[in-house]
Amino acid sequence: MVKKSDVYSVELHGTKDIEKTEIEDEEKYKDLKGNKKKKKTEDLKKELELDDHKLSTSELEEKYSTSITNGLFSARAAEILARDGPNSLTPPKATSEIVKFLKQLVGGFSILLWIGATFSWISFGIQLAQGTESAFDNLYLGIVLALVVILTGIFAYYQEAKSTNIMASFSKMIPQQALVIRDAQKKELPAEQLVVGDIVEIKGGDRIPADIRLISAQGCKVDNSSLTGESEPQARSCDFTHDNPLETKNIAFYSTTCVEGTATGIVINTGDRTIIGRIASLALGVGNEKTPIAIEIEHFVYLVAGVAISVGVLFFIISISLRYKILDSIIFLIGIIVANVPEGLLATVTVSLSLTAKRMAKKNCLVKNLEAVETLGSTSIICSDKTGTLTQNRMTVAHLWFDNQIYSADTSEDQTTQPFDQSSPSWTALSKIVTLCNRAEFRPGQENVPIMKRVVVGDASETALLKFAEVILGDVMNIRAQNKKVAEIPFNSTNKFQLSIHETDDPNDKRFLLVMKGAPERILERCSTIMINGKEEPLDSEKAEAFQTAYMELGGMGERVLGFCHLYLPENEFPDTYTFDTDSMNFPTSNLCFVGLLSMIDPPRSTVPDAVSKCRSAGIKVIMVTGDHPITAKAIAKSVGIISATSETVEDIAKRLNIPVEQVNRREATAAVVNGMELKDMSLQQLDEILCNHSEIVFARTSPQQKLIIVEGCQRQGAVVAVTGDGVNDSPALKKADIGIAMGIAGSDAAKNAADMVLLDDNFASIVTGVEEGRLIFDNLKKTIAYTLTKNIAELCPFLIYIIASIPMPIGTITILFIDLGTDIIPSVALAYEKAESDIMNRRPRNKRRDRLVNQQLAVYSYLQIGVMQAVGAFVTYFTVYAEQGFFPSTLLGVRVKWENSNINDFEDSYGQQWTKYQRTFLQWNGYTAFFVSITIQQVADLIIRKTRRNSIFQQGLFRNKVIWVGIFSQIGIALVLTYGLGYVTALNFTPLRFQYWFVAVPFAILIWVYDEVRKLLIRRYPGSWWDKNMYY
Amino acid sequence: MATLNEKKTCSERMENFRRFVWNPETKLFMGRTLINWVWISLYYLAFYVVMSGLFALSIYSLMRTVNPYEPDYQDQLKSPGVTLRPDVYGDRGLQIYYNVSDNKTWEGLVTTLRAFLTAYTPAAQHLNINCTSDTYFIQDTFDGPNKTKLSCKFTSDMLQNCSGITDPTFGFPEGQPCFIIKMNRIIKFFPGNGTAPRVDCTYVGAESRPLEVDYYPVNGTFNLHYFPYYGKKAQPSYSNPLVAVKFLNITRNVELKIVCKIIGAGITFDNVHDPYEGKTLPKYTHEE
Repeated sequence: MVKKSDVYSVELHGTKDIEKTEIEDEEKYKDLKGNKKKKKTEDLKKELELDDHKLSTSELEEKYSTSITNGLFSARAAEILARDGPNSLTPPKATSEIVKFLKQLVGGFSILLWIGATFSWISFGIQLAQGTESAFDNLYLGIVLALVVILTGIFAYYQEAKSTNIMASFSKMIPQQALVIRDAQKKELPAEQLVVGDIVEIKGGDRIPADIRLISAQGCKVDNSSLTGESEPQARSCDFTHDNPLETKNIAFYSTTCVEGTATGIVINTGDRTIIGRIASLALGVGNEKTPIAIEIEHFVYLVAGVAISVGVLFFIISISLRYKILDSIIFLIGIIVANVPEGLLATVTVSLSLTAKRMAKKNCLVKNLEAVETLGSTSIICSDKTGTLTQNRMTVAHLWFDNQIYSADTSEDQTTQPFDQSSPSWTALSKIVTLCNRAEFRPGQENVPIMKRVVVGDASETALLKFAEVILGDVMNIRAQNKKVAEIPFNSTNKFQLSIHETDDPNDKRFLLVMKGAPERILERCSTIMINGKEEPLDSEKAEAFQTAYMELGGMGERVLGFCHLYLPENEFPDTYTFDTDSMNFPTSNLCFVGLLSMIDPPRSTVPDAVSKCRSAGIKVIMVTGDHPITAKAIAKSVGIISATSETVEDIAKRLNIPVEQVNRREATAAVVNGMELKDMSLQQLDEILCNHSEIVFARTSPQQKLIIVEGCQRQGAVVAVTGDGVNDSPALKKADIGIAMGIAGSDAAKNAADMVLLDDNFASIVTGVEEGRLIFDNLKKTIAYTLTKNIAELCPFLIYIIASIPMPIGTITILFIDLGTDIIPSVALAYEKAESDIMNRRPRNKRRDRLVNQQLAVYSYLQIGVMQAVGAFVTYFTVYAEQGFFPSTLLGVRVKWENSNINDFEDSYGQQWTKYQRTFLQWNGYTAFFVSITIQQVADLIIRKTRRNSIFQQGLFRNKVIWVGIFSQIGIALVLTYGLGYVTALNFTPLRFQYWFVAVPFAILIWVYDEVRKLLIRRYPGSWWDKNMYY
Repeated sequence: MATLNEKKTCSERMENFRRFVWNPETKLFMGRTLINWVWISLYYLAFYVVMSGLFALSIYSLMRTVNPYEPDYQDQLKSPGVTLRPDVYGDRGLQIYYNVSDNKTWEGLVTTLRAFLTAYTPAAQHLNINCTSDTYFIQDTFDGPNKTKLSCKFTSDMLQNCSGITDPTFGFPEGQPCFIIKMNRIIKFFPGNGTAPRVDCTYVGAESRPLEVDYYPVNGTFNLHYFPYYGKKAQPSYSNPLVAVKFLNITRNVELKIVCKIIGAGITFDNVHDPYEGKTLPKYTHEE
């Protein structure tokens, strides 16, 4: 954080007022950070009491009984290791696998099925004791039910384990090594074995293996982004610079990386006691919210279980009062439960979600928790990081100013040319300075890599300039070789400039060229002339004014501005033998010629503005939460559309109307830029007010801890909040969010662990594609559930009619299981492949409370309309089969007791023929098969109508979703196999069926289709009407 | 998947439910206004009336298409079932048990037989004609009254010693009981392929002594002129021909498994699933 503000004060010193706020910001911000920490956790407060950074080297040696030169003795280290445990973070307590599995066995409908199975076994026991022949049917039924539960349990467990494994493999790292001094020898040890008091050496590229108090450092810089979220490298030395251990320069933290330089330090904390360890354990304390889809499925399970139990109990009572035996009534109860429970549905939902998860993984959204797939779709607020997510995480030259004119540069990801006017001789001069006054270099051997992707050794600004020059001028290294460098003063914070002196590449020109870049106001101070169109002109007040205006404008865009100047040293004073001494500065550093300004910014990713506008039309509020400076944050927010072009903040209005900020009506401002410092002083109500009243919000200068407060604020508004984060101390916010999104490239492991989703390319636009997929799957799950629920009625009615009208049983429990877990499975998964009916990104996110997955309309329409049609169709088939074999419908009514009596073997049919019990039973199975086939045929129609909820099937296209056809063919195929292939296996209760009975239900299937088309037509024709309200699900 | 741990207090739930049933603010009864309830009920009423109509129409047209005289298919009736009188069933099928010396144990059996044979008295059979031919009685036309076909007479006296006329106790007190065997009716079924099918009773398993049986009518045959059966509508007064068997040398005090098969072409008795197809398997015990 300190370093960050340094950077800004370097670049923006020209504007004094900005500098002032800067300092104030910094002060208050620190307070805030301290405050929040105290509030948030006792642990972190303790951490602040760490005083190792204040101790001298010898005090440290004493405290940890170690030696800086010799390190610890191995024996001593082993003792400490035994005491403190290994230097690694305790992974979050995982639920044991067996508990996870058992949970699958009792979740959802499983309980109902267990009840069914238990009843089956009880009635088996009773019947066995009574010596009934058919007792074993119930034993088998119980076993089948138990198997169904166990198999679906195994399936769900497997699915979950698979998605967890993706993550496990993802977060697995190569075991880290650390260079340690022990027993006076340098050793490579696994970082896990480090103990307090160890002396470790780190170099550029290493991950810091523990919390370390530095005792020596050479040009050491660390990237604390995993801790603070900001990726700007911070210098580390062995000086005590700040009371706060988090701010002082002589402590490097576990899991941060050393970017460059080398350092030696004493390990002062290991494992869970490191700062990171404490934050990680804080994340565990934040409760994980239940996902919206879990709530929806729960709601649905309740609903179906409610129907099952109430119908079951109702008919249990009815059958008792109709004088059925208790045992028979229990068997009916089992049948009703089995008919009502969509056994395969939860597995289908899991498969659909994992299909979507796979699809999302292809689009760079790796979903850790399957249910998060849908959560993303119901997201109404995205709290996004700026750096890396919205931006390219790479400084890039954005604007140039020379010849009194501002030019824009191309800031896209894959620039190959720069379109601005390069004909002016001023540009030639400027480009020379940019090329030469630059220490950054490409790593060798990258000639074939696109310029933008090449690895550069050097800091962010210099890298930007190097790449910029390379794009325009070509081989920069060659140009530098031709303009041999003879002297150089690198950038330092006192001078705030960088200077180098070169020979020119023109062999006739023996002059030396002095080039300089740095903070614009400092550069300007040293200039007496300014180059306009290649000619040096005196720098008068008018030209200085123009410079100021340009500088302010570029600075106001949140860009980091650099000034460039040069001077050709006169040949007579500086012959080519002249020796330049950078310490005594035996060359002029004033009265130079000012050439131009370049401003740099971490530009937004090119896909982001489009993605943000998509979010906007999808009713999703995008809030930027960044640790960056408000001006930069606002500039980026404007350029990506988080703050739209027309909207104003309170400050903007005040400026426009020229009135004090206090007098502005806050409600007029649609946008708000909230500073972390302001946020600190806000009450929760004030925060809520901001979140409510402004549609476009940027939180700048926020600490990662404040992110949690913002997330909680959004959740208080009833929003489903997605949060992106990469740093370790984003993890509480990631956990708290409805869906935490960690960055795959920049993200720390702790963030990835806490998140529900990992963004493999760190790109905000990927979130939007994820949202689209999430919304689609919600719609498609609706269709799947509607499809699956429909046939429940066709399965349930047989039991009800059987009990009331005493007809021979129309369909068996096992047959029902064959529908639920056989013919219906592939079609219901196929609905997950259905394309969206309309632009799902043009409607608002669903309201958690009102837009249920299974709403009343869906249940009622499926159960009471389509389901009833199916039942009628199936019963017509049933009566047809019986009538054509000799039993007219009139004969069947009330026939149950005699029909099922195995002692009656000369049962008379409508024609006077006489039937044995087995002949009747076989006919009954034939009836089951006919009923089954009819349901299957009508489910084909059901499948087709469920493709859309509003549009006509012909608008959607009957053949666009090929998987649906796979579903239809599988459905019919399975039915054919069951009927003709397994028709002779008596235990399955299927019999071969005469071919024409397959078509009895076809008119009803067509009726279902036509009826649903009419329904959809009326919904489209009369939106908002009574019909729309009652028939649209 | 979904873990159920959302907690609400019971009173909250009750309150929510009461609000759902009647919400005084929005005047919603179970989530709808009263007028809305009327509309939706009317819609569903209409919907179900139409569906019932469609169902009725389907059944009506089904009944119009089926043949009133004979069924379209006899897929399950390839071979007739066989039943035994008296039919006393226990846990393991037909089980006939009585004590010779205790007339209470066999009176019920005798009554069953007598009741069964009341359908075969000359009075009950007066609508049927006397048939003498020993061939199938094929009728292509409706020769009977009211568009019916004729049926042959079968009277109980054809069962001679087992008719209940000469021996009203059917041999039970003597330990030589009569049983009556009946073959199920199947429309247009021609048993025996020109030869009259006959009943054959044996012990089940390796019984050393052959079962001595008297069959009535002679040879225990079903005369071919009772076949084929043309259905209830064509032959309203048709009665199944019967065969009576009288077991002569039954071991006492032991449960015996007997099988009575009907032997004739077209009649199968080896269906493992159906113990009553083409045969009947009484378990018989009598004590003294």
